[in-house]
Amino acid sequence: MRLSLHVLFFATALVSSNPALSAGKTMPEFERAVLPNGAEVFLMEKHDVPLIAINALVRGGSLSDPEGQEGTASLLSDMMQKGAGKRDAKTFAETVDGAGGRLTTASGFSALELSAEFLSRDADLMIELAADALQRPRLDAAEFEKARTFAIQSLAAGKDGDPRGLISEYGYAFLYKNHPYGRPSIGDETSLKNITLASLGDYYRSRVGGDRLIISVVGDFKTSEMKAKIEKAFGNWGKATSELPVITAKQKETGRRVLLVDKPGATQTYFWLGNVGVNRTDPELPAQELVDTLFGGRFTSMLNTELRIKSGLSYGARSSLDRLAQAGPANISSFTRTDATVQAIDLAIATLDRLHKEPITAEMQESAKNYVLGQFPPTLETGPQMADKLGELALYRLGRDDVDEYAARIRAASSEQIAKAVNAYPQSADLVIVLIGDASKIRDSIKKYGPVTEMKMSDPRFSP
Amino acid sequence: MKPRFFSLLISAALASSPALAANSDTTVPGADKISTKTLANGLKVVVWSDHDIPNVALYNWYKVGSRNEYAGITGISHYFEHMMFNGTSTRKPGEFDRVMEANGGANNAYTSSDVTVYQDWFPRSALELIFDLEGDRMANLDFDPKVVESERGVVYSERRSSVDNSNFGSLVEQIDATAFTAHPYQIPTIGWPSDIEGWKIEDLKRFYKTYYAPNNAVMFVIGDVEPNEVFALAEKYIGKTPAQPTPTPITTKEPEQQGERRVNLVREGEAPLLAFAHHSVSASDADAPATELLLAILANGNSSRLHQQLVEQQQIVVDVDQSLQQGFDPGLAYLYATLPPGGDLAVVEKALDAELVKIANEGITEAELNKARTQKLASFWRGMATISGKASALGTYEVFKGDYKKLFQAPANYEKVTAADIKRVAAKLFRRDNRTVGTFVPAAKKGN
Repeated sequence: MRLSLHVLFFATALVSSNPALSAGKTMPEFERAVLPNGAEVFLMEKHDVPLIAINALVRGGSLSDPEGQEGTASLLSDMMQKGAGKRDAKTFAETVDGAGGRLTTASGFSALELSAEFLSRDADLMIELAADALQRPRLDAAEFEKARTFAIQSLAAGKDGDPRGLISEYGYAFLYKNHPYGRPSIGDETSLKNITLASLGDYYRSRVGGDRLIISVVGDFKTSEMKAKIEKAFGNWGKATSELPVITAKQKETGRRVLLVDKPGATQTYFWLGNVGVNRTDPELPAQELVDTLFGGRFTSMLNTELRIKSGLSYGARSSLDRLAQAGPANISSFTRTDATVQAIDLAIATLDRLHKEPITAEMQESAKNYVLGQFPPTLETGPQMADKLGELALYRLGRDDVDEYAARIRAASSEQIAKAVNAYPQSADLVIVLIGDASKIRDSIKKYGPVTEMKMSDPRFSP
Repeated sequence: MKPRFFSLLISAALASSPALAANSDTTVPGADKISTKTLANGLKVVVWSDHDIPNVALYNWYKVGSRNEYAGITGISHYFEHMMFNGTSTRKPGEFDRVMEANGGANNAYTSSDVTVYQDWFPRSALELIFDLEGDRMANLDFDPKVVESERGVVYSERRSSVDNSNFGSLVEQIDATAFTAHPYQIPTIGWPSDIEGWKIEDLKRFYKTYYAPNNAVMFVIGDVEPNEVFALAEKYIGKTPAQPTPTPITTKEPEQQGERRVNLVREGEAPLLAFAHHSVSASDADAPATELLLAILANGNSSRLHQQLVEQQQIVVDVDQSLQQGFDPGLAYLYATLPPGGDLAVVEKALDAELVKIANEGITEAELNKARTQKLASFWRGMATISGKASALGTYEVFKGDYKKLFQAPANYEKVTAADIKRVAAKLFRRDNRTVGTFVPAAKKGN
């Protein structure tokens, strides 16, 4: 029951003497503790509503999935709710729902994640459920068969929905071919079939443990009481036995290649243009976020202005810098009616060229800064948002200055830094292009973008 | 920072006790700070100061939606949602968004059968600018023919994504058009394709004058503001915009359905879909809380009846969900199931029907009722955690239930619903004669 060796208190930081920054958002006071097994704990009181949020990350995640069994960590995260501790799957679900709680489990590339939010009167129950799910999943055979079948069927059913939800899966798989980021976290219809209860159990026993846990609790509680509860619930969890995967960055690609995913009967073409971009800990992040805002991160961005506002070709066009531990894709995505496919892609490429060619004026810089600063505080308004942020900072080994000094860093980004940050996006000569659409109608006209590989949307994988 | 309302939290924690729940309209932090003012031209402004973050959420609710449309102009309400960003006599197309974003603000809007809601999120430093922008587009909207055409293309693209390329979206559109034979809830909010292509600038101008009037709107301003500064800005920027004659009320009532209707959608796809839509009640109906709880017991969460029965035990569907159309007039209560590829629609329909017969005949347990109430209580508090959530919740209660104050009685009203009420509502709704059944059947694959 003894609490940790390293208990640190953080006061709300005074970021700078610049009065303009008083309108920013800083992290409220929180406490960090490290349990004897190595688990990192963050506790932040927040009393505006009678709710408590928890975010638990276990370092590792999908990057540790065995080869050919992609989706293992994701399926394990599903199984964590399918019976744990003294509760079978049905009782577990009834307990969460009965308390009006929310509890989700998932796996990203670099961590398994459990998030929950309950009424504060049910704090003990929430901690018990989270501790059971992470430390005592039953991994019941019948539930495993159901969960695996369900995951496979959901992937197939998802292909009938709006392709915007899936195009980045194809984008990652095609861009990061032969790199760990090219393996789908959610698995595909073939890799999920290869997972057995035994292989799932192996993954759990060797790769999930208290030394990899980062647990953040935010809400309506007293820190001293919550600390004791978390210590009791997670302090005795043993350690993982295997090594964490080491991932090296993929280099930017040169030249172009095209993947055409055939969806017969589709009336629109969905497209994704990308290359290797930047990572989460890049020191030039503030300038890059400003460039992203101007290029495709808001309604009046260059891309949305061209593809939606001026031409009416699309309902929306955007850019994104996906930030992972290593560089994720810098990408452009949009969609248009089938017969306008080439017109829209040409326009997206021309806009990318303009980003590299034309200067970013002082007026554009000021507008982007105001926008980023104005939209930042609502991203840290609720308990779940704060708990997620504390977890994210710990996962990437970032300090609270990442939040507290964000506004100052955005303001301080210079013209030179912003001009240089444009290179987070690739030149248009170096693009990996993915299209989902009716191949019979667009197959010929898209050959001009580069060598085309073709597959079907109904194929059981995300890569050809 | 917000004050810490420990005493209030204790009341909330005990809210499942009916005696205390009766007081829950007084237990939300800051509810006593809400002020309202109605301008001489009829615009009602509701302000809730909340200084947790240095930001403001402004939601402007216009009481117009696809319910106010007719053949030839279907989709025009939603199209307006787009046009309201496209220029006025004082600001060129694009200026609204450009100025707002350059000053740190962002915006969005949505349209339903009943309302069109404009949402602005901005730092408090932009407060006056936002009132200038909102007042301008309420009074001076311009209709540049080139912009009208370009925006038609954008809306068409939205239709292709949300309806034409989504089996689920297409199925719901067909169900609505089948379930309602008289009432305009039959109209898809996005609009029928030929109408999107067909409406004219005169249609737009008439529509704007009729519905975009201050007396047809309610504005909610939540966040780092004080009521008096907001009222003064509303007066300055909107006060001179004249009221318009009250729009013609929608008086058509859907005749009682007499016999099950069916609609079948066949086209490319993998996973069959099944949906039941039963005629239900309006948002202000006394049975609305019981109907919400009934649907929650059936399909909210993994422990719900339908999830347990169809997904976990029989394993014949991959997903089941519900939604309740709550507007000015009686809407539909939907239950949906997504089948695995190759799944048998007849088997699922029979199983779903059996569950509805069961709940109508046998009712529910107290445990199920408590669960559904607690879910509502938790979801109520989640709504109170953000300035946007507050703007959305206040608007819903003010516009659809007649008074924003009813929001704070909501947890108590759920407490008042009994198991007998839910059984009665289930028996009333879940009659075959009151149902439209929609199915999506994947077309047979062409050979490769």
